[in-house]
Amino acid sequence: MRVLKNIFSQLHTFVLWLLASVLFWGWIFTFVTDTVPAKKVTVYCRVPAVEDTAMAAALEEDMPEGLRMVQVHTFDYVMFGTDAFDRGDIFIVPASEDADFVKDLLPLEGEGGTKVYDAATGEGAATEYIRYGDEDYYMYLGSASVHLDDGAALAVARQILAME
Amino acid sequence: MDAEIIELYSDADMERMRRRVRNGRRALLALAAAALAVCTGLALAANTLTAQRMELAAVAVSTLAGWIVIYGLLFVVAPTGRELAHAGMLRDEERQKAEGTITVTGERVIIRRSIAARRVEVRREDETVRLLVCESRAKALAAAGATAVYTCHGYVAAYQVTV
Repeated sequence: MRVLKNIFSQLHTFVLWLLASVLFWGWIFTFVTDTVPAKKVTVYCRVPAVEDTAMAAALEEDMPEGLRMVQVHTFDYVMFGTDAFDRGDIFIVPASEDADFVKDLLPLEGEGGTKVYDAATGEGAATEYIRYGDEDYYMYLGSASVHLDDGAALAVARQILAME
Repeated sequence: MDAEIIELYSDADMERMRRRVRNGRRALLALAAAALAVCTGLALAANTLTAQRMELAAVAVSTLAGWIVIYGLLFVVAPTGRELAHAGMLRDEERQKAEGTITVTGERVIIRRSIAARRVEVRREDETVRLLVCESRAKALAAAGATAVYTCHGYVAAYQVTV
């Protein structure tokens, strides 16, 4: 009873510590689990749902040399800032929104995007991790990607295409 | 019948409080260091797959350890330290004697950045002297049946009983 009374008398201190703890370790883990664009490949998926950490971990198992990590995000991740989004390496977008992005995106090879999901057959790449919508999906490389010259973006894109 | 003067804080009491402050500080420091080490270990061991779980664990460990440290500092170490300083003042400084009917009232007085105290009244025929006694010693004083108290800056430092 006395302990509870003491705690309630300093409740603001305990709550403040909780907030400080969440913010501090959030910042530390962001710092530890992130790196400069040159050492990571970032994949943005315009899909209803994606198991981002599981997919990233699977892609990291066979990373191109020189990379430290692969990050997978949905488009929601960049709601509040487009800087990181603009520097994205790989984009998976639905056919209906192709036109919105295609001027800023590059094809993997040849012209146009590479089909990653066929809505008619329900078959696609990385379906173990990505839940696609009811339309076709295409993959592109980011025009501002720093991994166009070293081929890392293309290598990871091919890895995704090879995923079940 | 002999009169015996009983100090509110004996040498043994002073030593016990000193030990409590010292050991309390050490224990809390050790807990904080251990929590920091565990959280740092979790951060260093994190990878893409485990980062979210590790972060949650680090937040849980640092929050709980922090709460324990805050509680220990605010409600164990700091009050004991303040009582130790108060007791040192009572033992070292000049005292005055007040005789009469001594009553420890239920009135609680909290002095900012100092001790929590109880009001003591010493009634004589013509006047009532109002004093304070440290809350942790109030019960002993109330039960002692004191005939006089020795005071220092308005606080009871010792009391006299008839044996």
